[in-house]
Amino acid sequence: MIPEKIKKYILTVILKKLENAASQDPNFDKSSLGQIKEILSQSKYSDKTLEEAKKLDLMLPTLDQSLVEMKAKTPLIQNIGHVLQTRKLEKRKKYLHVALNSTLEEAREIISQLPISDRILIEAGTPLIKIYGIDAVSQIKKMAPPGTYIVADNKCADLAAREVEMVANAGANASTCLGVAPIETIDSFIEECQKFNIDSMIDMMNVESALAVLKKLKKLPDVVMLHRGVDESEFSKEKQIPYYQIKQIKGNYDVLVAVAGGDTIKEVQRAVFNDADIVVVWKNFYQSSTETAKLVESFLREIK
Amino acid sequence: MLDKRTKYLQIAFNRSLEEVKEMIGMLPPSEKILIEAGTPLVKKYGGRGIAALKTWWSGKIQSPGYIVADLKTMDRGSREVEMAANAGASAATCLGLAPIETINEFVKNCEMVGVDSMVDMMNVEFPFEVLQKLKKLPDVVVLHRGADENERNREKQIPHDQIHRIKGTYNKVLISVAGGETLRDVIRTYFNDSDIAVIWKSFYEKPENTAILAGEFLKLVK
Repeated sequence: MIPEKIKKYILTVILKKLENAASQDPNFDKSSLGQIKEILSQSKYSDKTLEEAKKLDLMLPTLDQSLVEMKAKTPLIQNIGHVLQTRKLEKRKKYLHVALNSTLEEAREIISQLPISDRILIEAGTPLIKIYGIDAVSQIKKMAPPGTYIVADNKCADLAAREVEMVANAGANASTCLGVAPIETIDSFIEECQKFNIDSMIDMMNVESALAVLKKLKKLPDVVMLHRGVDESEFSKEKQIPYYQIKQIKGNYDVLVAVAGGDTIKEVQRAVFNDADIVVVWKNFYQSSTETAKLVESFLREIK
Repeated sequence: MLDKRTKYLQIAFNRSLEEVKEMIGMLPPSEKILIEAGTPLVKKYGGRGIAALKTWWSGKIQSPGYIVADLKTMDRGSREVEMAANAGASAATCLGLAPIETINEFVKNCEMVGVDSMVDMMNVEFPFEVLQKLKKLPDVVVLHRGADENERNREKQIPHDQIHRIKGTYNKVLISVAGGETLRDVIRTYFNDSDIAVIWKSFYEKPENTAILAGEFLKLVK
Protein backbone atom coordinates (compact mmCIF):
# COMPACT_ATOMS: atom_id res chain seq x y z
CA MET A 1 0.00 0.00 0.00
CA ILE A 2 1.19 3.48 -0.78
CA PRO A 3 0.63 6.08 1.94
CA GLU A 4 -1.91 8.64 0.76
CA LYS A 5 0.42 11.59 1.15
CA ILE A 6 3.14 10.02 -0.96
CA LYS A 7 0.56 9.14 -3.54
CA LYS A 8 -0.48 12.77 -3.63
CA TYR A 9 3.10 13.84 -4.09
CA ILE A 10 3.65 11.37 -6.90
CA LEU A 11 0.45 12.42 -8.61
CA THR A 12 1.46 16.06 -8.43
CA VAL A 13 4.78 15.24 -10.07
CA ILE A 14 3.06 13.16 -12.72
CA LEU A 15 0.55 15.90 -13.38
CA LYS A 16 3.35 18.39 -13.96
CA LYS A 17 5.12 16.02 -16.36
CA LEU A 18 1.91 15.31 -18.21
CA GLU A 19 1.01 18.95 -18.54
CA ASN A 20 4.45 19.50 -19.92
CA ALA A 21 4.03 16.66 -22.40
CA ALA A 22 0.57 17.93 -23.37
CA SER A 23 1.89 21.41 -24.12
CA GLN A 24 4.41 19.93 -26.55
CA ASP A 25 2.14 17.48 -28.29
CA PRO A 26 -1.18 18.70 -29.70
CA ASN A 27 -2.43 15.11 -30.08
CA PHE A 28 -1.86 14.33 -26.41
CA ASP A 29 -4.84 12.65 -24.77
CA LYS A 30 -5.76 15.10 -22.03
CA SER A 31 -8.37 12.90 -20.39
CA SER A 32 -5.86 11.52 -17.87
CA LEU A 33 -5.03 15.07 -16.73
CA GLY A 34 -8.59 15.67 -15.61
CA GLN A 35 -8.67 12.33 -13.83
CA ILE A 36 -5.54 13.08 -11.85
CA LYS A 37 -6.76 16.55 -10.95
CA GLU A 38 -9.92 15.01 -9.65
CA ILE A 39 -8.06 12.48 -7.51
CA LEU A 40 -5.87 15.27 -6.18
CA SER A 41 -8.85 17.45 -5.32
CA GLN A 42 -10.42 14.60 -3.36
CA SER A 43 -7.30 13.94 -1.33
CA LYS A 44 -7.71 14.93 2.30
CA TYR A 45 -4.05 15.86 2.55
CA SER A 46 -3.18 19.51 2.38
CA ASP A 47 -0.30 21.03 0.49
CA LYS A 48 1.58 21.11 3.74
CA THR A 49 1.68 17.31 3.93
CA LEU A 50 2.82 17.45 0.38
CA GLU A 51 5.91 19.40 1.43
CA GLU A 52 6.57 16.81 4.10
CA ALA A 53 6.27 14.00 1.61
CA LYS A 54 8.81 15.74 -0.57
CA LYS A 55 11.25 15.79 2.32
CA LEU A 56 10.98 12.05 2.71
CA ASP A 57 13.92 10.29 1.20
CA LEU A 58 12.11 9.31 -1.96
CA MET A 59 14.65 7.35 -3.91
CA LEU A 60 13.73 6.63 -7.48
CA PRO A 61 13.29 2.86 -7.14
CA THR A 62 10.74 3.34 -4.35
CA LEU A 63 8.96 5.83 -6.49
CA ASP A 64 8.95 3.50 -9.48
CA GLN A 65 7.72 0.69 -7.28
CA SER A 66 4.85 2.81 -6.01
CA LEU A 67 4.00 3.72 -9.56
CA VAL A 68 3.90 0.10 -10.59
CA GLU A 69 1.61 -0.69 -7.66
CA MET A 70 -0.52 2.31 -8.39
CA LYS A 71 -0.85 1.40 -12.02
CA ALA A 72 -2.01 -2.04 -11.10
CA LYS A 73 -4.67 -0.59 -8.81
CA THR A 74 -5.76 2.44 -10.75
CA PRO A 75 -6.47 1.65 -14.38
CA LEU A 76 -7.33 5.34 -14.81
CA ILE A 77 -3.72 6.33 -14.72
CA GLN A 78 -2.33 3.49 -16.78
CA ASN A 79 0.93 4.22 -18.58
CA ILE A 80 1.47 7.61 -17.03
CA GLY A 81 4.06 6.19 -14.66
CA HIS A 82 6.38 5.98 -17.62
CA VAL A 83 6.19 9.70 -18.12
CA LEU A 84 7.77 10.10 -14.73
CA GLN A 85 10.30 7.32 -14.70
CA THR A 86 11.68 7.82 -18.16
CA ARG A 87 15.00 9.38 -18.81
CA LYS A 88 15.80 10.02 -22.44
CA LEU A 89 19.18 10.21 -24.14
CA GLU A 90 20.64 13.60 -24.96
CA LYS A 91 22.21 14.54 -28.25
CA ARG A 92 25.85 15.66 -28.23
CA LYS A 93 26.61 13.49 -25.23
CA LYS A 94 28.76 10.39 -25.61
CA TYR A 95 27.50 7.28 -23.88
CA LEU A 96 28.99 3.94 -22.98
CA HIS A 97 26.47 1.15 -23.07
CA VAL A 98 27.42 -1.86 -20.97
CA ALA A 99 25.66 -5.04 -22.04
CA LEU A 100 25.26 -7.72 -19.41
CA ASN A 101 24.81 -11.18 -20.84
CA SER A 102 25.86 -13.91 -18.45
CA THR A 103 23.97 -14.25 -15.15
CA LEU A 104 22.19 -11.96 -12.70
CA GLU A 105 24.80 -12.74 -10.02
CA GLU A 106 27.48 -11.49 -12.36
CA ALA A 107 25.38 -8.49 -13.29
CA ARG A 108 25.25 -7.56 -9.61
CA GLU A 109 29.01 -7.96 -9.30
CA ILE A 110 29.81 -5.78 -12.27
CA ILE A 111 27.22 -3.11 -11.44
CA SER A 112 28.68 -2.75 -7.96
CA GLN A 113 32.08 -2.01 -9.49
CA LEU A 114 30.91 0.58 -12.01
CA PRO A 115 31.50 4.26 -11.34
CA ILE A 116 28.31 6.34 -11.15
CA SER A 117 27.70 8.48 -14.23
CA ASP A 118 24.74 9.49 -16.35
CA ARG A 119 26.85 8.56 -19.37
CA ILE A 120 26.71 4.86 -18.56
CA LEU A 121 23.79 2.89 -19.91
CA ILE A 122 23.18 -0.59 -18.56
CA GLU A 123 21.67 -3.28 -20.75
CA ALA A 124 19.81 -6.42 -19.79
CA GLY A 125 21.13 -8.57 -22.65
CA THR A 126 19.01 -10.91 -24.77
CA PRO A 127 20.28 -14.12 -23.13
CA LEU A 128 19.45 -12.72 -19.67
CA ILE A 129 15.93 -11.84 -20.77
CA LYS A 130 15.36 -15.25 -22.32
CA ILE A 131 16.79 -17.06 -19.29
CA TYR A 132 15.23 -15.05 -16.46
CA GLY A 133 12.34 -13.50 -18.33
CA ILE A 134 11.38 -9.86 -17.90
CA ASP A 135 12.53 -10.14 -14.30
CA ALA A 136 16.05 -9.66 -15.66
CA VAL A 137 15.14 -6.06 -16.52
CA SER A 138 13.51 -5.19 -13.20
CA GLN A 139 16.27 -6.92 -11.23
CA ILE A 140 19.01 -5.02 -13.06
CA LYS A 141 17.09 -1.79 -12.55
CA LYS A 142 17.02 -2.51 -8.84
CA MET A 143 20.74 -3.31 -8.71
CA ALA A 144 21.78 -0.19 -10.60
CA PRO A 145 22.10 3.23 -8.92
CA PRO A 146 18.76 5.11 -8.86
CA GLY A 147 18.00 6.82 -12.14
CA THR A 148 20.30 4.64 -14.26
CA TYR A 149 19.27 4.36 -17.89
CA ILE A 150 18.30 0.74 -18.53
CA VAL A 151 18.18 -0.82 -21.99
CA ALA A 152 16.16 -3.99 -22.50
CA ASP A 153 17.79 -5.82 -25.40
CA ASN A 154 14.66 -7.77 -26.22
CA LYS A 155 15.51 -7.82 -29.97
CA CYS A 156 11.88 -7.76 -30.97
CA ALA A 157 11.14 -9.67 -34.20
CA ASP A 158 7.33 -9.80 -34.10
CA LEU A 159 4.40 -8.89 -31.82
CA ALA A 160 6.00 -5.55 -30.99
CA ALA A 161 3.12 -4.12 -28.95
CA ARG A 162 3.25 -6.93 -26.44
CA GLU A 163 7.02 -6.78 -25.98
CA VAL A 164 7.27 -3.01 -25.65
CA GLU A 165 4.52 -2.87 -23.02
CA MET A 166 6.25 -5.62 -21.07
CA VAL A 167 9.70 -4.01 -21.02
CA ALA A 168 8.31 -0.54 -20.30
CA ASN A 169 6.38 -1.92 -17.34
CA ALA A 170 9.56 -3.56 -16.06
CA GLY A 171 11.15 -0.12 -15.93
CA ALA A 172 13.34 -0.06 -19.05
CA ASN A 173 14.23 3.31 -20.60
CA ALA A 174 14.81 1.79 -24.03
CA SER A 175 13.86 -1.31 -25.96
CA THR A 176 15.44 -2.90 -29.06
CA CYS A 177 13.89 -4.23 -32.26
CA LEU A 178 15.63 -6.10 -35.07
CA GLY A 179 16.28 -4.19 -38.27
CA VAL A 180 15.76 -7.45 -40.19
CA ALA A 181 12.22 -7.76 -38.80
CA PRO A 182 9.25 -7.05 -41.09
CA ILE A 183 8.79 -3.30 -41.63
CA GLU A 184 5.28 -3.60 -40.13
CA THR A 185 6.86 -4.84 -36.90
CA ILE A 186 9.44 -2.02 -36.77
CA ASP A 187 6.76 0.60 -37.43
CA SER A 188 4.56 -0.81 -34.70
CA PHE A 189 7.57 -1.05 -32.37
CA ILE A 190 8.45 2.66 -32.78
CA GLU A 191 4.82 3.68 -32.28
CA GLU A 192 4.55 1.64 -29.10
CA CYS A 193 7.81 2.99 -27.70
CA GLN A 194 6.48 6.52 -28.21
CA LYS A 195 3.26 5.56 -26.51
CA PHE A 196 5.15 4.28 -23.48
CA ASN A 197 7.65 7.12 -23.61
CA ILE A 198 10.76 4.97 -23.92
CA ASP A 199 13.56 5.23 -26.49
CA SER A 200 13.32 2.96 -29.53
CA MET A 201 16.54 1.33 -30.71
CA ILE A 202 16.76 -0.50 -34.03
CA ASP A 203 19.45 -3.14 -34.06
CA MET A 204 20.87 -3.38 -37.58
CA MET A 205 22.56 -6.74 -37.10
CA ASN A 206 22.83 -8.59 -40.41
CA VAL A 207 21.12 -5.73 -42.25
CA GLU A 208 22.84 -4.92 -45.51
CA SER A 209 21.82 -1.27 -45.67
CA ALA A 210 20.61 0.47 -42.53
CA LEU A 211 19.71 3.50 -44.64
CA ALA A 212 17.38 1.43 -46.79
CA VAL A 213 15.54 0.22 -43.68
CA LEU A 214 15.23 3.76 -42.27
CA LYS A 215 13.88 5.00 -45.58
CA LYS A 216 10.95 2.56 -45.40
CA LEU A 217 9.84 3.50 -41.88
CA LYS A 218 6.86 5.70 -41.09
CA LYS A 219 8.64 7.31 -38.14
CA LEU A 220 12.29 7.40 -37.13
CA PRO A 221 13.59 5.48 -34.14
CA ASP A 222 15.57 7.30 -31.44
CA VAL A 223 18.67 5.17 -31.89
CA VAL A 224 20.14 3.11 -34.72
CA MET A 225 22.51 0.40 -33.61
CA LEU A 226 25.17 -0.83 -36.00
CA HIS A 227 27.02 -4.06 -35.50
CA ARG A 228 28.38 -7.36 -36.35
CA GLY A 229 26.73 -10.21 -34.53
CA VAL A 230 28.70 -11.61 -31.64
CA ASP A 231 28.76 -15.01 -33.25
CA GLU A 232 29.82 -13.28 -36.42
CA SER A 233 32.76 -11.54 -34.81
CA GLU A 234 33.84 -14.76 -33.17
CA PHE A 235 33.75 -16.87 -36.28
CA SER A 236 34.71 -14.52 -39.05
CA LYS A 237 36.97 -11.86 -37.70
CA GLU A 238 37.39 -10.07 -40.97
CA LYS A 239 33.91 -8.51 -40.84
CA GLN A 240 34.34 -4.92 -39.69
CA ILE A 241 31.96 -2.44 -38.17
CA PRO A 242 30.99 -0.17 -41.07
CA TYR A 243 32.15 3.13 -39.58
CA TYR A 244 31.43 5.10 -42.75
CA GLN A 245 27.74 4.30 -42.25
CA ILE A 246 27.64 6.38 -39.07
CA LYS A 247 28.15 9.66 -40.91
CA GLN A 248 25.90 8.53 -43.71
CA ILE A 249 23.02 7.86 -41.31
CA LYS A 250 23.55 10.97 -39.21
CA GLY A 251 23.86 13.09 -42.34
CA ASN A 252 20.43 11.98 -43.51
CA TYR A 253 18.46 11.34 -40.36
CA ASP A 254 18.09 12.93 -36.97
CA VAL A 255 18.90 9.85 -34.90
CA LEU A 256 21.57 8.77 -32.46
CA VAL A 257 23.92 6.07 -33.67
CA ALA A 258 25.17 3.30 -31.42
CA VAL A 259 28.04 1.07 -32.42
CA ALA A 260 28.25 -2.36 -30.91
CA GLY A 261 31.40 -4.30 -30.38
CA GLY A 262 34.33 -2.76 -28.62
CA ASP A 263 36.60 -4.66 -26.27
CA THR A 264 39.35 -2.13 -25.69
CA ILE A 265 39.43 1.60 -25.03
CA LYS A 266 41.13 1.99 -28.43
CA GLU A 267 38.13 0.50 -30.20
CA VAL A 268 35.79 2.65 -28.16
CA GLN A 269 37.78 5.78 -29.02
CA ARG A 270 37.76 4.84 -32.67
CA ALA A 271 33.97 4.55 -32.67
CA VAL A 272 33.56 7.93 -30.96
CA PHE A 273 36.08 9.47 -33.36
CA ASN A 274 33.90 8.16 -36.17
CA ASP A 275 30.91 10.01 -34.74
CA ALA A 276 29.15 7.28 -32.77
CA ASP A 277 26.97 8.63 -29.94
CA ILE A 278 26.84 5.38 -28.02
CA VAL A 279 29.43 2.63 -27.85
CA VAL A 280 28.25 -0.77 -26.74
CA VAL A 281 30.65 -2.98 -24.83
CA TRP A 282 29.94 -6.48 -23.63
CA LYS A 283 30.67 -8.02 -20.35
CA ASN A 284 31.39 -11.55 -21.49
CA PHE A 285 31.38 -14.41 -19.08
CA TYR A 286 35.02 -15.17 -19.82
CA GLN A 287 36.10 -11.66 -18.85
CA SER A 288 36.57 -10.48 -15.31
CA SER A 289 34.28 -7.73 -14.02
CA THR A 290 37.32 -5.68 -13.09
CA GLU A 291 38.33 -5.58 -16.73
CA THR A 292 34.95 -4.15 -17.71
CA ALA A 293 34.98 -1.65 -14.83
CA LYS A 294 38.41 -0.45 -15.95
CA LEU A 295 37.20 0.06 -19.49
CA VAL A 296 34.27 2.11 -18.18
CA GLU A 297 36.61 4.23 -16.06
CA SER A 298 38.91 4.99 -18.96
CA PHE A 299 35.91 5.88 -21.10
CA LEU A 300 34.70 8.43 -18.54
CA ARG A 301 38.22 9.80 -18.20
CA GLU A 302 39.23 9.96 -21.85
CA ILE A 303 36.03 10.63 -23.72
CA LYS A 304 34.12 13.73 -22.77
CA MET B 1 12.13 -36.47 -31.79
CA LEU B 2 9.59 -35.95 -34.54
CA ASP B 3 8.46 -38.73 -36.83
CA LYS B 4 8.55 -37.94 -40.56
CA ARG B 5 5.47 -40.03 -41.28
CA THR B 6 3.26 -38.18 -38.84
CA LYS B 7 1.46 -34.86 -39.09
CA TYR B 8 1.63 -32.54 -36.10
CA LEU B 9 -0.39 -29.66 -34.77
CA GLN B 10 1.66 -27.05 -32.92
CA ILE B 11 -0.18 -24.68 -30.61
CA ALA B 12 1.62 -21.48 -29.69
CA PHE B 13 1.13 -19.69 -26.38
CA ASN B 14 2.11 -16.06 -26.08
CA ARG B 15 0.41 -14.72 -22.98
CA SER B 16 0.37 -15.44 -19.28
CA LEU B 17 1.19 -18.75 -17.65
CA GLU B 18 -2.17 -18.84 -15.86
CA GLU B 19 -3.92 -18.70 -19.20
CA VAL B 20 -1.71 -21.44 -20.63
CA LYS B 21 -2.43 -23.72 -17.71
CA GLU B 22 -6.15 -23.36 -18.23
CA MET B 23 -5.91 -23.86 -21.97
CA ILE B 24 -3.71 -26.93 -21.76
CA GLY B 25 -6.42 -28.44 -19.60
CA MET B 26 -8.89 -28.03 -22.48
CA LEU B 27 -6.75 -29.78 -25.10
CA PRO B 28 -7.17 -33.45 -26.02
CA PRO B 29 -4.14 -35.44 -24.83
CA SER B 30 -2.05 -36.52 -27.83
CA GLU B 31 1.59 -36.82 -28.75
CA LYS B 32 0.68 -35.34 -32.12
CA ILE B 33 0.17 -32.00 -30.44
CA LEU B 34 3.25 -29.87 -29.88
CA ILE B 35 3.11 -27.05 -27.36
CA GLU B 36 5.04 -23.87 -28.15
CA ALA B 37 6.36 -21.38 -25.62
CA GLY B 38 5.99 -18.29 -27.82
CA THR B 39 8.68 -15.59 -27.94
CA PRO B 40 6.77 -13.08 -25.77
CA LEU B 41 6.14 -15.82 -23.21
CA VAL B 42 9.84 -16.78 -23.14
CA LYS B 43 10.85 -13.15 -22.78
CA LYS B 44 8.36 -12.69 -19.99
CA TYR B 45 9.01 -15.80 -17.90
CA GLY B 46 12.37 -17.09 -19.15
CA GLY B 47 13.34 -20.72 -18.58
CA ARG B 48 10.75 -21.22 -15.87
CA GLY B 49 7.98 -20.53 -18.39
CA ILE B 50 9.27 -23.32 -20.65
CA ALA B 51 9.59 -25.65 -17.66
CA ALA B 52 6.01 -24.94 -16.57
CA LEU B 53 4.64 -25.80 -20.02
CA LYS B 54 6.68 -29.00 -19.98
CA THR B 55 5.26 -30.05 -16.62
CA TRP B 56 1.64 -29.25 -17.49
CA TRP B 57 1.64 -30.82 -20.95
CA SER B 58 3.55 -33.93 -19.81
CA GLY B 59 1.05 -34.30 -16.97
CA LYS B 60 -1.82 -34.03 -19.40
CA ILE B 61 -0.55 -36.62 -21.90
CA GLN B 62 1.05 -38.85 -19.24
CA SER B 63 4.39 -38.98 -21.07
CA PRO B 64 7.10 -36.41 -21.83
CA GLY B 65 5.37 -33.67 -23.86
CA TYR B 66 7.02 -32.04 -26.87
CA ILE B 67 7.70 -28.37 -26.10
CA VAL B 68 8.97 -25.90 -28.69
CA ALA B 69 10.92 -22.97 -27.26
CA ASP B 70 10.38 -20.15 -29.77
CA LEU B 71 13.64 -18.39 -28.91
CA LYS B 72 13.99 -16.71 -32.33
CA THR B 73 17.72 -16.64 -31.76
CA MET B 74 19.60 -13.90 -33.58
CA ASP B 75 23.01 -14.23 -31.98
CA ARG B 76 24.75 -15.82 -28.98
CA GLY B 77 22.83 -18.97 -29.74
CA SER B 78 24.61 -21.42 -27.51
CA ARG B 79 23.48 -20.14 -24.11
CA GLU B 80 19.86 -19.80 -25.12
CA VAL B 81 19.72 -23.28 -26.56
CA GLU B 82 21.33 -24.75 -23.48
CA MET B 83 18.86 -22.90 -21.25
CA ALA B 84 15.88 -24.16 -23.30
CA ALA B 85 17.15 -27.74 -23.20
CA ASN B 86 17.67 -27.55 -19.45
CA ALA B 87 14.15 -26.25 -19.03
CA GLY B 88 12.82 -29.31 -20.85
CA ALA B 89 12.30 -28.06 -24.41
CA SER B 90 12.37 -30.63 -27.23
CA ALA B 91 12.99 -28.02 -29.91
CA ALA B 92 14.29 -24.47 -30.22
CA THR B 93 13.99 -21.87 -32.98
CA CYS B 94 16.53 -19.59 -34.65
CA LEU B 95 15.79 -16.78 -37.10
CA GLY B 96 16.59 -17.45 -40.74
CA LEU B 97 17.42 -13.73 -40.84
CA ALA B 98 20.35 -14.28 -38.49
CA PRO B 99 23.93 -14.34 -39.80
CA ILE B 100 24.72 -17.72 -41.40
CA GLU B 101 27.43 -18.25 -38.76
CA THR B 102 24.77 -17.94 -36.04
CA ILE B 103 22.45 -20.46 -37.72
CA ASN B 104 25.32 -22.92 -38.18
CA GLU B 105 26.23 -22.55 -34.51
CA PHE B 106 22.59 -22.93 -33.53
CA VAL B 107 22.10 -26.19 -35.49
CA LYS B 108 25.32 -27.56 -34.02
CA ASN B 109 24.37 -26.58 -30.46
CA CYS B 110 20.90 -28.09 -30.77
CA GLU B 111 22.43 -31.36 -31.87
CA MET B 112 24.86 -31.22 -28.96
CA VAL B 113 22.20 -30.78 -26.29
CA GLY B 114 19.72 -33.09 -28.03
CA VAL B 115 16.90 -30.80 -29.12
CA ASP B 116 15.40 -30.41 -32.60
CA SER B 117 16.60 -27.31 -34.45
CA MET B 118 13.94 -25.19 -36.15
CA VAL B 119 14.87 -22.33 -38.46
CA ASP B 120 12.16 -19.69 -38.66
CA MET B 121 12.04 -18.14 -42.13
CA MET B 122 9.90 -15.13 -41.21
CA ASN B 123 10.68 -12.20 -43.54
CA VAL B 124 13.22 -14.31 -45.48
CA GLU B 125 12.55 -13.86 -49.16
CA PHE B 126 14.20 -17.05 -50.35
CA PRO B 127 14.34 -19.66 -47.58
CA PHE B 128 15.80 -22.16 -50.00
CA GLU B 129 18.89 -20.02 -50.45
CA VAL B 130 19.47 -19.81 -46.71
CA LEU B 131 19.39 -23.60 -46.49
CA GLN B 132 21.89 -23.87 -49.32
CA LYS B 133 24.42 -21.82 -47.36
CA LEU B 134 24.26 -23.91 -44.18
CA LYS B 135 26.90 -26.43 -43.17
CA LYS B 136 24.27 -28.74 -41.78
CA LEU B 137 20.51 -28.79 -42.25
CA PRO B 138 18.17 -28.03 -39.37
CA ASP B 139 15.52 -30.60 -38.41
CA VAL B 140 12.63 -28.29 -39.22
CA VAL B 141 12.11 -25.24 -41.45
CA VAL B 142 9.32 -22.91 -40.31
CA LEU B 143 7.60 -20.92 -43.02
CA HIS B 144 5.36 -18.09 -41.96
CA ARG B 145 4.54 -14.46 -41.90
CA GLY B 146 4.90 -12.33 -38.81
CA ALA B 147 1.80 -11.53 -36.78
CA ASP B 148 2.39 -7.77 -37.12
CA GLU B 149 2.74 -8.21 -40.90
CA ASN B 150 -0.55 -10.11 -41.08
CA GLU B 151 -2.28 -7.47 -39.07
CA ARG B 152 -1.04 -4.50 -41.08
CA ASN B 153 -0.61 -5.90 -44.55
CA ARG B 154 -2.90 -8.66 -45.75
CA GLU B 155 -1.50 -8.93 -49.22
CA LYS B 156 1.68 -10.86 -48.57
CA GLN B 157 1.39 -14.64 -48.83
CA ILE B 158 3.13 -17.68 -47.43
CA PRO B 159 5.46 -18.86 -50.19
CA HIS B 160 3.94 -22.27 -50.96
CA ASP B 161 6.22 -22.76 -53.95
CA GLN B 162 9.10 -22.58 -51.50
CA ILE B 163 7.72 -25.59 -49.62
CA HIS B 164 7.87 -27.75 -52.75
CA ARG B 165 11.31 -26.54 -53.61
CA ILE B 166 12.64 -27.28 -50.14
CA LYS B 167 10.89 -30.67 -49.93
CA GLY B 168 12.08 -31.61 -53.39
CA THR B 169 15.71 -30.94 -52.61
CA TYR B 170 16.05 -31.71 -48.93
CA ASN B 171 13.85 -34.67 -48.12
CA LYS B 172 15.10 -35.00 -44.57
CA VAL B 173 13.84 -31.61 -43.45
CA LEU B 174 10.38 -31.27 -41.92
CA ILE B 175 8.30 -28.26 -42.88
CA SER B 176 6.25 -26.29 -40.42
CA VAL B 177 3.74 -23.71 -41.60
CA ALA B 178 2.26 -21.16 -39.28
CA GLY B 179 -0.85 -19.09 -39.64
CA GLY B 180 -3.73 -21.55 -40.08
CA GLU B 181 -6.66 -20.84 -37.81
CA THR B 182 -9.36 -23.16 -39.12
CA LEU B 183 -9.49 -26.87 -39.82
CA ARG B 184 -9.56 -26.03 -43.50
CA ASP B 185 -6.34 -24.00 -43.17
CA VAL B 186 -4.71 -26.88 -41.33
CA ILE B 187 -5.75 -29.38 -44.01
CA ARG B 188 -4.58 -27.06 -46.75
CA THR B 189 -1.24 -26.77 -45.00
CA TYR B 190 -0.82 -30.54 -45.20
CA PHE B 191 -1.84 -30.65 -48.86
CA ASN B 192 1.09 -28.37 -49.41
CA ASP B 193 3.36 -31.07 -48.05
CA SER B 194 4.05 -29.61 -44.67
CA ASP B 195 4.49 -31.73 -41.58
CA ILE B 196 3.57 -29.32 -38.81
CA ALA B 197 0.77 -26.75 -38.75
CA VAL B 198 1.19 -23.97 -36.19
CA ILE B 199 -1.84 -22.16 -34.81
CA TRP B 200 -2.02 -19.44 -32.21
CA LYS B 201 -4.51 -16.71 -32.84
CA SER B 202 -7.76 -18.57 -32.28
CA PHE B 203 -6.65 -19.18 -28.73
CA TYR B 204 -7.13 -15.59 -27.75
CA GLU B 205 -10.36 -15.18 -29.57
CA LYS B 206 -12.07 -18.43 -28.57
CA PRO B 207 -10.00 -21.01 -26.68
CA GLU B 208 -12.79 -23.59 -26.95
CA ASN B 209 -12.50 -23.43 -30.73
CA THR B 210 -8.87 -24.39 -30.56
CA ALA B 211 -9.73 -27.39 -28.42
CA ILE B 212 -12.39 -28.42 -30.98
CA LEU B 213 -9.96 -27.80 -33.83
CA ALA B 214 -7.37 -29.97 -32.09
CA GLY B 215 -9.96 -32.73 -31.67
CA GLU B 216 -10.97 -32.59 -35.34
CA PHE B 217 -7.34 -32.59 -36.33
CA LEU B 218 -6.65 -35.75 -34.36
CA LYS B 219 -9.57 -37.57 -36.02
CA LEU B 220 -8.19 -36.51 -39.37
CA VAL B 221 -4.62 -37.72 -38.91
CA LYS B 222 -5.41 -41.03 -37.27
